[in-house]
Formats: sequence, C-alpha cells, structure tokens
Amino acid sequence: MPTKTGLRLFVVWLILCSITLCYLLIDHVADVGGRTANTAVTMAAILVALVKVRIIMQEFMGVRSAPRVLGRITDGWVLIMAVALVGCFAVGKILA
Amino acid sequence: MKRPSVLEDPKRELWLAWYATIVFYNIYTIVFFILTRTQPPGKPWYGPEAVVGWFDGRHDGLLIGFALIFALGGLSATSIALITYSIRRMSVSRAFAYSYLILYAVSAVPGFLFICVVMTVGAMRPDRSPATQQWLYDLGFLSFSGTMGVFLVGSLIWMLAILLDKNGVFPKWFGYLNLCNALTEVVVAPSWIFHRGAFAWNGVIAWWIDVVVFGAYTGVFIYLLRSLILREDFGTGPLPDRPPSGPARVAEVAAS
Amino acid sequence: MTISETALPATGAGSTRRVPGQPDMWFFVLFETLLFTAYLGVYLFNRTQHPVLFLHAQAQLHLWIGAVNTIILLTSSWVIARCVEEARAGRFRSALVKAYLTAACGVAFMGFKVSEWVVEIHAGNTFTSNDFFSYYYFLTAIHFIHLLIGFVFLGVLVYQLRSPQRRSQIMVETCATYWHTLDYLWILIFALLYVVR
Repeated sequence: MPTKTGLRLFVVWLILCSITLCYLLIDHVADVGGRTANTAVTMAAILVALVKVRIIMQEFMGVRSAPRVLGRITDGWVLIMAVALVGCFAVGKILA
Repeated sequence: MKRPSVLEDPKRELWLAWYATIVFYNIYTIVFFILTRTQPPGKPWYGPEAVVGWFDGRHDGLLIGFALIFALGGLSATSIALITYSIRRMSVSRAFAYSYLILYAVSAVPGFLFICVVMTVGAMRPDRSPATQQWLYDLGFLSFSGTMGVFLVGSLIWMLAILLDKNGVFPKWFGYLNLCNALTEVVVAPSWIFHRGAFAWNGVIAWWIDVVVFGAYTGVFIYLLRSLILREDFGTGPLPDRPPSGPARVAEVAAS
Repeated sequence: MTISETALPATGAGSTRRVPGQPDMWFFVLFETLLFTAYLGVYLFNRTQHPVLFLHAQAQLHLWIGAVNTIILLTSSWVIARCVEEARAGRFRSALVKAYLTAACGVAFMGFKVSEWVVEIHAGNTFTSNDFFSYYYFLTAIHFIHLLIGFVFLGVLVYQLRSPQRRSQIMVETCATYWHTLDYLWILIFALLYVVR
C-alpha cells in the first residue's frame, strides 16, 4: 500500500520525467529551419536542468525535511551553478 | 598543565616534521612558479624554435631554482612521513600506512624530481639542437603531468583508511576530499593525447582546475596534520579533541 | 546499531529535522558538483568560440539515447529514495529489493552509455575527432567513473541492509545522497551536450 511519502515521490518522478520529455520537444522545435546556434534554447535548457536539479535535491535527497541551513546551502549551490554556466556562455558569446 | 619546554616536548619531532612540510611546499611553489617558471606549464604546441626560446628565457632560473630543489627536495619526505604517521594512529591495519609510504616515496620521482632533471639538462647546454630541446621539453612536462597513477592509488589508500578509521584521526569529509583529488589525477590523463585545448598539459581542465583542487587539498591536509599533532595523545584509541586555547586555556592554567 | 536508530519515524512537519546521511558526504557531493560545473562552464565557453563545429558535431548525437538514460537515472533516484524511506520505516526486505533495483538501473544506464559510445565510434566520432567530441567523451566518461564509484556506495548500502547488526540509517542515507548526485550531474550533462544550441 503506497504511503503518503511514497505517493509524493512517485509524483515527483512523474514530473521530472515529463520535464525530460519536454526536452525532446525543445530539441525538435530548435531544429526547425535548420540547425543554428540559439541562445534562447541554450538558456532554456540550462535553466530547466537546474530546476530539475533543485527538485531532486529537495524531494529525493530529502533537503525539504532537513535543517533549513541545508536548504539554503543547496539553493545557493543551484544559484552558483546558474551564474557559472550562464556566465561562461555569456562571456564566450561576447568574446566570440 | 604547564606546556613542556621544547627539549622535553614529546611532540617536538612531529612539529619539526610539520614545519619542514611548510618549508618544503613554500620552496616548491617559489621554485616552480617564480624562479623557474615551469608552472604554469609551457605550451604543448610549441615547435622546436619556440622551445629554444622557452629555455633561453628561463636559463638562469632553471639552473638556480632546480639546484635548490636538488638540495632541499628531500624535505618532501616529512609530509609523507607525517601522513604515514597519521595512518598508523588510525584503527586500521598498518598495511595502509606502509602502502602509502612506499607509493608516495616513489612518487617523488615523477612528482617533481624527473622534470627538474630533464629541464636542468635542457638548460645546461643551450647550443643543443632545437629538436633535442623540444624532446626534453616534452619529456619534462609529460612526466610531470601524465604520471598520475601513483598519486591516484595513494589518495585512494589514504581515503579508505580515513573512512574505515574508528579513532577519528581525520574527519570523514577529508576522506572524501581524497577521492576528489584521486579523480583529478584521472582528469589529467588526456594530456598525453592533446597538444592544445582544455585537455592539454597546460589546459584549463587538465591543469588550471586541477591545480586549484590540489592546492585546496594540500592546504587542508597541512591544517589537519597540525590538528592531529595538537590532539595527539600517543595512545591507540580514539584521538581526543583539540586541547582548549584562548580564554579557556588561561582558565585551565590558572586552575592548575 | 541499536533498534532506535533503524526504525526512525518518517520525517514530516512535526518531527525533528536532521541532515540526511553524513554531513561529510554532503560536503563531498557539493564539491564534486562545483567541479562538474567548472568542466561544463569550460565546455560552454568553448562552444561559443566554435559554434558551427560544435553544432554539426552535436547533430551526430542521438538525443533519444540521452533521454532514455536520463529517465533511467531519474527512476534509479526515485527507487533509492523509496529504499531510504523503507529502511527508515524498518521494512528492510523491501528496502533491499529497491537497492537491487537501483543497481539494475545503474547497469542499464551503463549498457546504454557503452552502446552509444560504440555507435559513435563506428560513425567515426572518437575522442580526438574534434573539440565537441573531446568534451562529449570526457564528460560522459568522468560521469561513468563516478557511476562506478556509485556502485561501491550501493554495495556498502546493501551490506548495511542485509544484516540486522549493521543497519545504519545514516549510512543508507549517505550512500543514497551520493547516488542522487549521479542523477543530477547527468541531467546537467544531458542538457548541455544534447539539447543546448
């Protein structure tokens, strides 16, 4: 018999898989009209990935029910990743 | 409890080794980064003429700097000895300590001695053919960057000892940091293949990021070794916590 | 380990909050995450310097394999999270089954990954073919190595669960924390290698 937590974890898994399938859609749409560099697609891909990372941390890794300082640290980490990845891409685009 | 004088302090050898470690790493950094400028490494894509120029521009630095290493490089033994000592203090088998000692003793050769010899040979006779100089250049840098197997296994041995240890000699997170360090050794492996880019021996991934991790790792273990010496009780059981310092220590001394 | 440690109440709004597993493991996974972020940042930067080359090389990849692998790891993460819950509730038999299922997912991932490498090599895309494929093989290989390490942690987890004398909820959660990291690191790699333009 599924427990309340069991059900929640299953729903989280469904959401994460759906987001993954959305990538297939983004990928398909991105190539309409030829394969070109596309900042919007890149940004979307990175940010969606980070949303998934945060969901995994909060729900699967148990940060949601951990001391709040862990939540702040992991959120900070997601922010650092966002800044680093978007930053590297942006700096590269400027220098290219 | 009165602090024992230097002559009576049973920990004096440990402190001597620890300070020698600090001296060694400082000499190493100054020699490699400033005197000889062999770190950051020379570019792998240099042709023979460019390599001649590289040796020319560093002629005196190479000879003086590496002479210092040849004289004082033996100091590297102190950090290895202290780490081996720390593993002996753990609850795990002594085999871990001995394996680590042997591996890292060997590691001094590719770790820094080989490149010192090769680059000194290169600098010694500037009139050698450019092709020979390029050969020495490649040999030096590849031996330095590409021979990471010893460090990899050594790090894993230390990691395993720390994670299995019941005496609490080092915190578990440092055990895991050894795994990080071991993995950076793997990341250096592509430098044998690439002459340019992030995976070359001077690349962002194979060198720059690795050096940051290694630098942090070295700084951390030097600090933890100091902590070990402060806590050491020369027993075989769990290592006690740090003795109090500052106001707590003053109160303790006043009470005794 | 004592019984009280093995059958902890399920955490909810009312019960005490504690860090899942050893805090030391959290230090490790966050450190590795920074490292991977650095590698991915270098890749993204290089991508912007040679956009045409990277785009054309990327077209050689098969997105569906990457997506399947993502789903496999997401499933493995879900299953191991359930395993931790079961262990917390004292249902060790069920937890053990889920641990084995997690391992099976890991093996499936490895199977698909190796097949993908074989397909790419047969298509002529090797480690040294071009910059994109250097990054592709590097990132997927370093993740693969982390996955192998993940199996070691899974082994520790199974070892803990199998014997009543050893069941440490802390160790179970510690190993699970590492496994989840494999999952979210792959999610980043998948997005940046396969989807980004």
